[in-house]
Formats: sequence, structure tokens, C-alpha cells
Amino acid sequence: MRNRFLPTLATCIFLFFGTSCRQDEPVPPASPSSPAPAMLRVAYVVDGQPLAFDTLMYTNEGGTVYSVTHLEHYLSELVLIGSGGTPNDTLHGPWYVNAANAVDLDLGTLRAGQYSGATMLLGLPPALNVTGALPNTLANINMAWPDPMGGGYHFIKFEGHFMAAEVPTGFAMHVGKNEFLPVCTMLGSFTTTGNGGTLKLTFNLNEVFRTPHIYDLNSGNYSMGSMALMGQLRDNCANAFTLEYLP
Amino acid sequence: MKHQLTLLAGAIALLLAASCKKDAEDPAPPGTPGPAPIDLAVPWYFPIMDVPADNPTTREGIALGRRLYYDTLLSASGPMAGRSCSSCHSQALSFSVPGSPPGFLQVLPHVNLAWSSNFLWKGEVQGTLEDIMRFEVEDFFSADMNILQNDPHYPQLFSQAFGSATITQDAVDKALAQWFRSMISSNSHLDQYLRNEIALTPSEQNGMMLYLTETGDCFHCHGLPLTTDHDFHNIGLDSTFSGADQGRFLVTGQTSDLGAFKTPSLRNIALTAPYMHDGRFATLEEVVEHYNSGVKHSASLDPIMTKPGKETGLNLSPQQMADLVAFLHTFTDPVFLTDTALASPF
Repeated sequence: MRNRFLPTLATCIFLFFGTSCRQDEPVPPASPSSPAPAMLRVAYVVDGQPLAFDTLMYTNEGGTVYSVTHLEHYLSELVLIGSGGTPNDTLHGPWYVNAANAVDLDLGTLRAGQYSGATMLLGLPPALNVTGALPNTLANINMAWPDPMGGGYHFIKFEGHFMAAEVPTGFAMHVGKNEFLPVCTMLGSFTTTGNGGTLKLTFNLNEVFRTPHIYDLNSGNYSMGSMALMGQLRDNCANAFTLEYLP
Repeated sequence: MKHQLTLLAGAIALLLAASCKKDAEDPAPPGTPGPAPIDLAVPWYFPIMDVPADNPTTREGIALGRRLYYDTLLSASGPMAGRSCSSCHSQALSFSVPGSPPGFLQVLPHVNLAWSSNFLWKGEVQGTLEDIMRFEVEDFFSADMNILQNDPHYPQLFSQAFGSATITQDAVDKALAQWFRSMISSNSHLDQYLRNEIALTPSEQNGMMLYLTETGDCFHCHGLPLTTDHDFHNIGLDSTFSGADQGRFLVTGQTSDLGAFKTPSLRNIALTAPYMHDGRFATLEEVVEHYNSGVKHSASLDPIMTKPGKETGLNLSPQQMADLVAFLHTFTDPVFLTDTALASPF
């Protein structure tokens, strides 16, 4: 009894201490097969120039000089379109982005695959475009689309100044309501590694004024409440993004 | 053998008791309970309140901050000697005061600042409530910690709130920040309406529709429920700018910030006259009249203020303006103005 009991007890003690404080131990490095987290980055440019706020220095398709003072928006339902046997991969979001202090957003895991392009909502899907559907963060509350005007949220607020007959004048391009939700298409193939990386979206603000409607700020500097202007912005924003994968 | 087993069991027990000590909090000594955490009463339709992890809100912290807020001891050694926070922030006036000392802008009310990260009219301080309290205690009041340390009451109060009787600038900032987080106005008629507890009068209802639609377009900067976007805007008070009227520009140096000031909360706005950073408007009717017909153009005028056909104002009818003022009166919160928990402890 003595010869067998004590070694057994010692083993139990060893095993107990070997496992009881596991949370204090360093986490072992991820195995090569564990996918690393992927990030979503949004960059803002004006025809190739990085966006600089508050300076009247950009010229849009209509020949109007403008500046950007404020830009915030949602993104959601990013669908990576599979090719070569890769199925589509949908990343739902939503993601709120303020261009003045845009940060990389956590996408979770992104599987390996070949893709021919992507689609994305510049805004929120109808199920989330309902007052109170998003958590009551300050950002979400400031993006609210008032209930008397239909409720939900602004999809985008894009504000600045432009030169109107040599006089600086404000513009506020606000888009909301489901019927004006921009569905963006991004062409171009890319291959994800399955080991993290970054999906980089580039938002070319001049596209908001370009295709298919040449948007004239002089005849429409304030979109909220205007079905015609929000319709133009919906169509133009659909072409405003490009996407690339950074391994 | 039996003795050996007893010793071994005892050793195991001791080892177990000691081996995971870092996983558990050291228990407080008997008789000295720690500060009691408080869940502040925040309505469901309010924004989520971010509280710094290193300054959780506690009953003792709020009580200490409240005492400091009302105590002239905070200023005893500085240029503001004889004054407390409450000297310029009267509860009955939504923790504001009419007029302002020479050289100062109008006193902004202390209401719902827990959700702000831009402080003072020009945003001279940005960050958390702890950051603005650091400015107020250190720069505005030039508070002397030794004076508080030598007071017969404060060391014990700090000990109860923060576990140490040694009074530091950091602890004072934190106590005041906790107190400010508790200064929540959420029982106005508007709140009761939002909670479906009351109905608004027809005039108030009409005013709300103006406020929340493009007709009045108040909501872009004064959205509900906080009635401020905490941002900075040039609302067309002037077309040229000098001195303090340059606003946020004096902080950033950006010409696009000329004439821009922080969006003030409209909570209890009927009690915080005169209005604007310089108190140029005596009544709410004058304020509405400014938005209706007095907007002045400048290169930094906020884009929201430049709707087609409304470049100089909203063009509201007299009845619409009266309705809008009626709605602004629903922001008055009698509970906040009379709550004894927010009153002086002295």
C-alpha cells in the first residue's frame, strides 16, 4: 500500500498543478493552420490624390472646385465573388467609418480563395436601416435618419464647400432610405491566402460626381429630402470604390 | 504512515491556497469595505456611456466629486479663490449661470457631459471627463492638494473612494469625473414623450416635426436624445471674425474653423439664456429668428446652413417659429433641476 499510494498521490498532485493555473501560462503560438485575422481598410482619394480635409483644392467632373469638411458612412454586406471553384464569401458588417480618423476594422477570418471581384453596400441593408436597429453608440445616434423622415440611418454624410460663382458655398450630400441604397461593384480579381491580410477599399470621391451622372453642385448642393439628388448619388456611389487584397 | 499522509495533505492544502493567488483579488481588510459600484440610470434610448476602466463609477466617488464640486476649497490657493464649480454652475439653471465673467465666454451648462469628448466652446480640451477635470482643477482653479490633504474630512473621503488617504491630482480629477457622469438629465417632457408616458401638445408636436425634418433642420447638429452632436459648427452669426468670435480657429489654426463653436446641448435650454457663445440673444425667440432670417454667409459657414433657397434662413412662419420654441421648452427637466442628489452637500 505504502509503496503504491505515495507515488500515485504525487502523480495526482503533479497533474493537478500542471493544469490548475492554465490561464496564467503563455498562450502557445497559433499553429500554421490557424487562420490569422483579416482587416478591412478604407482609403479616401480624389482621382489618385490622398484626401486632405478642409482645403478647396479638388475639381470634380463638372469643373467645380470643392473641399471636403466631413465624411462618414456605413459599409455592409461585402460579398467576395468566388471564381475557379471558390464559393462566394459574404462579410456582413456593418462597419461605420469616419474618414477623418479611419482605422483598420477587424474582419475576423478570411478564407483562402480566388475571387473575381466584390459587391458591397455603401450603407445598411434594409433589415438594419430601422431606427434602433444598431447599438446606441454616439456615432450611430449621430447618423440617425429622423423618424418623421422615415427613420433608420444616414448611409453617408459627405460635406464640404465648393466655389459657386467665385464664392465658397457649402454642400451636404446626405443619402439614406432603402430606395437610395448604393450597391457598389468592384471589379478585379484577387487571391486571398487564408492567413490574414487586409482588404483595402479605396473610395474615390470624384466618382461621386462622375458616372453615370455628372453631378453639378451648383444645381444640387443639398441632397437630403431630394429624391432626384439622392438617386443620382446612389447611382454614382455604386462606381466609387475599388478593392484590393494586401497579403 | 498516517502521520506522513496528514503532513502531505496539509502541504497540498497550503500549496493549493498559495499557488493561484494571482488569480484572485486580495480581500479587503475586515471593516474597510471598498467603494460600491453604481450603475447609473441611463434610459434605453440614450447612447452607451463609455466609462474608463481605471475610474469605475462608485457611490463614494460620486459623493466625493459632488463635495468637491460645491467646495470653495478647490480654488483656495489660485486666482479663482473663494469660488467653487457651483459658483458659475447653478443647479436651478441646469448647472449654468446667466452672463459671464469679463473675458470669458458664456457659461456652458453641465448636463449630460458623460457623452462628450469635446469640451468648452472652442474644444480647448478633448478627451474624457478625466481630461477636462484635469484642466479645470490644475489650470482653472490651480488647486493645491495640500489644502485638501490638511482638511479634516477629505483624506477619509478619498480613502473611501480610492483606497488611499493620500490626495493626488489624479484622484481629484477622477472623483469629479465620476460626479459629472452622474449629472444626467433624462426626465424632461421630451423624455417622457420618448418613453410614451405623455403626449405633446399640438404646438409642441408641430415644433418637433420642424425640428426633426428639413423644414427646421435642427436635428443634424442637435439630434435627439442628447440634443448635440458634440461637434463644431459655424452657424452664420457673423460674416467676419475677430477676437473670441474666431472660435475653434483659435485652437486649430484652420481657416475652415473660423466662427465655429461647439454645439451646445439644448437640454434645459429655456433656462440657460442668454444664448450663443457671446450671449448675443436674450430669448429663444431671438435664437429662432437668427436661424430663420439672420444667417450670415462666410467661407466657413457650415454646409448644413446652405440649403438652396434658404441661404439666409429657414423662412418659417411666425406660427412655425412659435411651435419650434414650444418644442424647445419640452427639453426642460424639472427632476434634474431639483434632484437633491445633485444639490450641494453642505
